Amino acid sequence: MNSSTSNAYDVIVIGAGHNGLTTAALLARQGRNVLVLERRSTIGGLAAGEEFHAGYQTDGVLHDSGQVRARVVKSLDLKSHGLELLQGRPSFLALDPRDRGMLLGNKERRTANEINFYSPEDARQYHRYRKFIRQVAGVVNRIFDELPPAMDSSDGRTLWDLFKTGFALRRLGKTTMLELMRIAPMSAADWLNEWFENSHVKAALAGACLTGTFAGPWSPGTAFNLLLWECSAKYSIKGGPRSLIAALEKAVQSRGGEIRTNAEVSEIQVSGGQIKGLLLKDGEHIQASIVAASCDPRHTFLDLIQGNQLENWQEHRMQHIRGTGTTAKVNLALGTQLEFIGRSGEKIAFARTGCHLDHIEKAFDVCKYGRFSAEPILDIHIPTVSSPDLAPPGHSVVSILVHFVPYGLKSQWDQDQIEKLGDTVVAALEQYAPGVTDAIVAREVVTPVDLEKRYGLVQGHILHGEHALDQLILRPTPECARYHTPIKGLYLCGSGSHPGGGITCGPGVLAASVIAQA
Amino acid sequence: MSQVTQIAQPFNSHIPTESYDAIVVGGGHNGLVCAAYLAKAGKKVLVLESRHILGGAAASDEIFPGFTFSVYSYVVSLFRPHIVRELDLTRHGYQVIPLECTFTPFPDGESMTRCGDPEATRREIARFSPTDAEVAPRFSLAMTQMASFIKHLIDSPAPDLTALRISEVAKLLGLGRRFKALADGGKYVFTKLMTMSAVEFLNLWFESDRLVGPMSVSGIIGTFLGVRSPGTAYVLLHHYMGEIDGAFRSWGFSKGGTGGVSLACARAARSFGADIRTQAAVEKIILRAGKAAGVVVRGGHEIKSKTVISAVDAHQTFFKMIGAQHLDADFVQQLKRFKYRGSSAKVNLAVDRLPDFGCKPGDGPHLRGDITIAPGVEYLEKAYDDAKYGNFSERPFLDIVIPSLTDPTVAPPGKHVISIFVQYAPYHLKEGPEQWPAKREALGDTVVDTLAEYCPDIKDSILHRQVVTPWDLEQDVGLTEGNIFQGELSLEQLGPFRPVSGWSRYQTPIDHLWMCGSCVHPGGGIMGAPGELAAKTLLKSS
Repeated sequence: MNSSTSNAYDVIVIGAGHNGLTTAALLARQGRNVLVLERRSTIGGLAAGEEFHAGYQTDGVLHDSGQVRARVVKSLDLKSHGLELLQGRPSFLALDPRDRGMLLGNKERRTANEINFYSPEDARQYHRYRKFIRQVAGVVNRIFDELPPAMDSSDGRTLWDLFKTGFALRRLGKTTMLELMRIAPMSAADWLNEWFENSHVKAALAGACLTGTFAGPWSPGTAFNLLLWECSAKYSIKGGPRSLIAALEKAVQSRGGEIRTNAEVSEIQVSGGQIKGLLLKDGEHIQASIVAASCDPRHTFLDLIQGNQLENWQEHRMQHIRGTGTTAKVNLALGTQLEFIGRSGEKIAFARTGCHLDHIEKAFDVCKYGRFSAEPILDIHIPTVSSPDLAPPGHSVVSILVHFVPYGLKSQWDQDQIEKLGDTVVAALEQYAPGVTDAIVAREVVTPVDLEKRYGLVQGHILHGEHALDQLILRPTPECARYHTPIKGLYLCGSGSHPGGGITCGPGVLAASVIAQA
Repeated sequence: MSQVTQIAQPFNSHIPTESYDAIVVGGGHNGLVCAAYLAKAGKKVLVLESRHILGGAAASDEIFPGFTFSVYSYVVSLFRPHIVRELDLTRHGYQVIPLECTFTPFPDGESMTRCGDPEATRREIARFSPTDAEVAPRFSLAMTQMASFIKHLIDSPAPDLTALRISEVAKLLGLGRRFKALADGGKYVFTKLMTMSAVEFLNLWFESDRLVGPMSVSGIIGTFLGVRSPGTAYVLLHHYMGEIDGAFRSWGFSKGGTGGVSLACARAARSFGADIRTQAAVEKIILRAGKAAGVVVRGGHEIKSKTVISAVDAHQTFFKMIGAQHLDADFVQQLKRFKYRGSSAKVNLAVDRLPDFGCKPGDGPHLRGDITIAPGVEYLEKAYDDAKYGNFSERPFLDIVIPSLTDPTVAPPGKHVISIFVQYAPYHLKEGPEQWPAKREALGDTVVDTLAEYCPDIKDSILHRQVVTPWDLEQDVGLTEGNIFQGELSLEQLGPFRPVSGWSRYQTPIDHLWMCGSCVHPGGGIMGAPGELAAKTLLKSS
């Protein structure tokens, strides 16, 4: 084993997911000598496309890339690296087993027309709802682009930031400001009930905020997630998450950054409260003075760092980060195109089940007791609609995030349960897309436990920790909320940090801005 | 009853004709506290209560001959000590006997008794988890710290978050300074407390489900939320904030039932010259040129007043007594979305002997505190799931007290009254709330069956049973949708948002109309604070 002793790199990033690559690219652009270490043989993490069956690929475990921060694309000039950012979020179909469902898209009037089919009153309300979102979007989006406040806000800059945010909030006017603060702790169901009357409309709109969380639409705090999503989901990326990864990879490499795959970090070496180096699984040792970890903070602090480097209370806080996975993935290779009821011939790339808030809530209920529902909530993406090359000609790929599937299944995740989950998902899909069962060429079921093993997600949590009020902003813990940690030279840059999980690249950008000043 | 007649007269016995400085609508404890403060400041005050007894939801009544019940609200803890001092309530009969013990039986024959003796409690918890036993005192300390921090918020009007005026901004800065002064650990605990669920918050300290289950229920009392719903940790604190003789974290019985507290407030108000009338249902608040100018009592009697202060909830006040047509459309919309949805019921039993718990037979200190049927988080969460879809819980959470053990005056010798708080019993049954009368006894049976799983002989000991559903709370006490706090205590309905954003400071959009009930900051519980703060704000403004 070669043991390098020279401190060849300025910054080492652990993990080549979208956030790790963002941090690496931004720092490389500033002239830092950057190395990215990726445990798997491919880069991209949850945004990586996977060939799950010979000739069939998905374009990422997560498929919603509409929240990517425009400033990342701009400051890294990702356009020149082949990324095409399209204005407007992709349409998704809110499925209905009895009817043609509702296609909710970027175009407000067209969406209102779809809603009108279910409730004319709600169609009118939808315009008011959008108007409110537009009104507050500016302020809400600041949350994604600003450093979280420091808990002990004594330094002048922090106070100034806080003041600016407070002022921006106040400029909305007294009523809107109070309204935003009122909404934040509410449940999505309560908030949507204030706007809409039709249960299908409410369920369709609520779906967006439940990805990856241990929360149903009746759980308080989910309105905030909904608001964040409504305000931030503005784009779509041509070619999906994997195009983003490809562009980020080029951005890193074009500035001399190095990306190594099959390089699993087994230990972050610390001495005297300061980073000394990294030990790889194959025995290689790399000296480092600055490390940015994009993996789950619990993995960083509780697995990779040996010995008593943290104070007891710091460790206690890390141990108590809430994040037990509730999402599974089912990938289907189909010999035909997928067609939904009443939508034959239409190109539908995104669809979601759940026609009633109670239906979604009930799917969540069983998850609390360690089971998955017979009617799980499916978040469906058909990547072959926009990228037919992901499957053989005429064939298609259906990539499904299955919500409310517990990591800690009471009866353990054995082969029987895995097949049962696969069958449940297919049976549920059959209700909305008759004939799908017979068209299946291959099926892959990825449980939360598999997600943990494959992607290093602690307890299979795809967001690196719950998105709930207690873990937003001051994320993952107050002392690590501003990307630096109690260990000198160690920074966090992944979804476990503010503004959290999903393909936003937000944590990567903010972490890079902090590291740049180190 | 006889006590009431000494303080208050039925309305019709002597109809007041002259005009008042202030009329308080509703003779619950908050209305009476408010009246007492105003009368003490020399105002001419009239309190109008629709029922034959005083106290609203904090009333005692002899429901069955010889048996006096705290019909609705059953324990006292939150009552602000400075109100007791300022109104000299002790002289007027305010007496709270501390509840020293919490007893939780488990279905497997085990039980846990936590009491005032720290060493005994430590030993008891250690039977289930030695680490939890060690952590428990640290937890208490942290909660006491939180309670004394939050106390400032409870004892003053809600902060105005949109303030631009110097004085208000200074108040906000003061709040920030107090927050900054908390130790780092305290800040962490506070942010978690304001955002987490009761269970998750407790899990920061404890590992044993047998401890977390019964402790978490303080977070859900009176709300339509589960122990794992975010935001309930704060309510936990609300119930930890009780101060009896300056000691935090204590619950207590009022002598003569919770009505005793209300009667003490009434006597104080009376001593300062307030006129208190029962059987005087206010039907309308009179508006002159858009301003409140008096009330109309059932039977058509008009009484003039410079100010009207409503101690009933916002729904009753604005939709029944004022009428939406007199209000701004936006205000009406905000009132409509204020959530009530009561979730709790009460079962009162008169029994001929003490209950005998299989897991801890016989009489003992465990019967003298509160007895909590909350054997674990999953049990509680399932109880909530039932309610979410419009059913009362198949196996509800019960909080049981036997006041006759501490205060023998409430039952005939050898007999006892048992007061059972039941959750969840959602106002909005899936068949509709008006179906509650038909389901009332079924709920009573469920409650007795649940209790009988722990003390089988309870069924044979019952002499009388009264079941109070959320529907009854609405019909009899006037609590909209049967919410015992005059509106849910959820984060979005606290502080400056209670009951309507921007109208939390006791004034209303109608000039000369004020609010002083639990639907304004700092909310419900037998606390007296809304009544006190409303009176003080009103006095300062005039």
